[in-house]
Formats: sequence, C-alpha cells, structure tokens
Amino acid sequence: MDGNNIFGPIDIAVSGMRAQGKNMEVISSNVAHARTTDAGRGEPYRRLEPILEAESDGISGVIVDEIVKDMSDFQTIFDPGNPQADEHGYVLMPNVNLPVEMMNLTVATRTYQANAAVLKRYQQMVETTLELLR
Amino acid sequence: MAKTSGILDLIEAGIKAESLRQKAIAGNIANLETPGYRRIDIKFEQSLAKALNSPGKLDIGELEPQLYRPNQTPVKGNGNDVNLETEVGEMVKNTLRHKTYIRVLNKKYRQLELAIDTK
Repeated sequence: MDGNNIFGPIDIAVSGMRAQGKNMEVISSNVAHARTTDAGRGEPYRRLEPILEAESDGISGVIVDEIVKDMSDFQTIFDPGNPQADEHGYVLMPNVNLPVEMMNLTVATRTYQANAAVLKRYQQMVETTLELLR
Repeated sequence: MAKTSGILDLIEAGIKAESLRQKAIAGNIANLETPGYRRIDIKFEQSLAKALNSPGKLDIGELEPQLYRPNQTPVKGNGNDVNLETEVGEMVKNTLRHKTYIRVLNKKYRQLELAIDTK
C-alpha cells in the first residue's frame, strides 16, 4: 500500500468487512453441519476455521489466507439404534461445538460493525475537510 | 485565459469519470448474484497522472475513462467475483471524489463571478 493514500483507511476497513463476511460464511457452514455425520469421506463433518493474514507488513488490510480444518477429536454419542453406529453403539459426531460457534458469531458481527463504523467515521472526516472548500 | 478553461476541462473530465464509475458500481451491485459475472471498473486516475506528467501540450480530450474487468478478485462458486463490501467502499470513495470535484468547480465559478461583478 502506498504511503500517502487518502482512501487508504477505506480500503482497510473494507478488507476487514470482507474478512469478517467470509468468517461468517465459515461459521454458518459449521452451524449448518453441527449434526452432519457423513461429510463424504466416511467421517463426520470437520469444523472449519479461517486463517486471517495481513496483506503486507506495516499498515495494511486483512485477507482470509486459507480455511483450515479443525483436527480435534470428533464427539461420540451413544445411539445403538442408529444405522451408522459402531459395534459398541457409538456414533461419531462432528467436532462442532455450538456455544463456541455462537461466540465466534458474536465476535464476527462486532468486528464487522467496528470496521463499518471506521469506514463511516472516516467518510465524515473527509467530508469535514471538503467543508473547508465551501 | 487558457489556464481557466484548462481547470474547467480537468474538472469536467473528472466528473465524467466519476459518473461512469458510479454506473459501473451500480451495474456490479445489480449483478451481485449473476452467475459468471465479473466486476467492471474504470481506469481514469492512472491515465490522468500519465497525461499530467508527460511533456508537451495536455490534451484533455484524449482523457477518456476506460472500462475494464480487473479479473483478479477471488471468484465465488458461481464464477461471479462481485463483493458487496468492496462495491460499497468504492461507492464511498467515488462519492467523496465527486464531492471534491463539485466543490472545486463551485469555487472556480465563484472566482469568475467575483471578477465579472463590477458594481
């Protein structure tokens, strides 16, 4: 990012909003798959987590670098009647923890709002400068 | 004399570019969910800087804003690369630029009026 850019703060705030939008997409996938026992590869859905990265060193925006899988253990529930149960009657469930997802959802929403607030405030600041041209 | 028209020409070219960009942004937002749509952007500031830096006579008439597709931004599942946040940000920037041009134009007109007004 070049040093003296009047629209720099706008680009950075937008990058933050975009990153949190992607974060929201990941959270909604996790919540939607909270009870998905078959994700296609013979195992339950694995929780996803976005990795945020700075666009460059110093003053910069943020980008979603990659979306990685949470490799923690799956949960098991005792349900002998379930056709997917093993010989002991246990069914593997996704490693999604709904309270954690709800907490992440709140953080994502607040961060998005914070970035939108910065964008709005900066817009007002530039308009104050433009008032001097009257 | 030449200088006055130069400033007005510059502002006019700028306002033209901003109006076109506003149309492009509106088109992008309208096609937010259109499969395969790639966002459109306007190239103007770069060519303006180039024209201002080049030696010789500055020809504003050649400064036409150009439509282009950046084709760089990450594509969604349906081949569409429009992002609402990005477009809103672009619109905020465009509005601020537009306001600046209008204010400068207004200032210039008032300067001329001051010269004409010989009461």
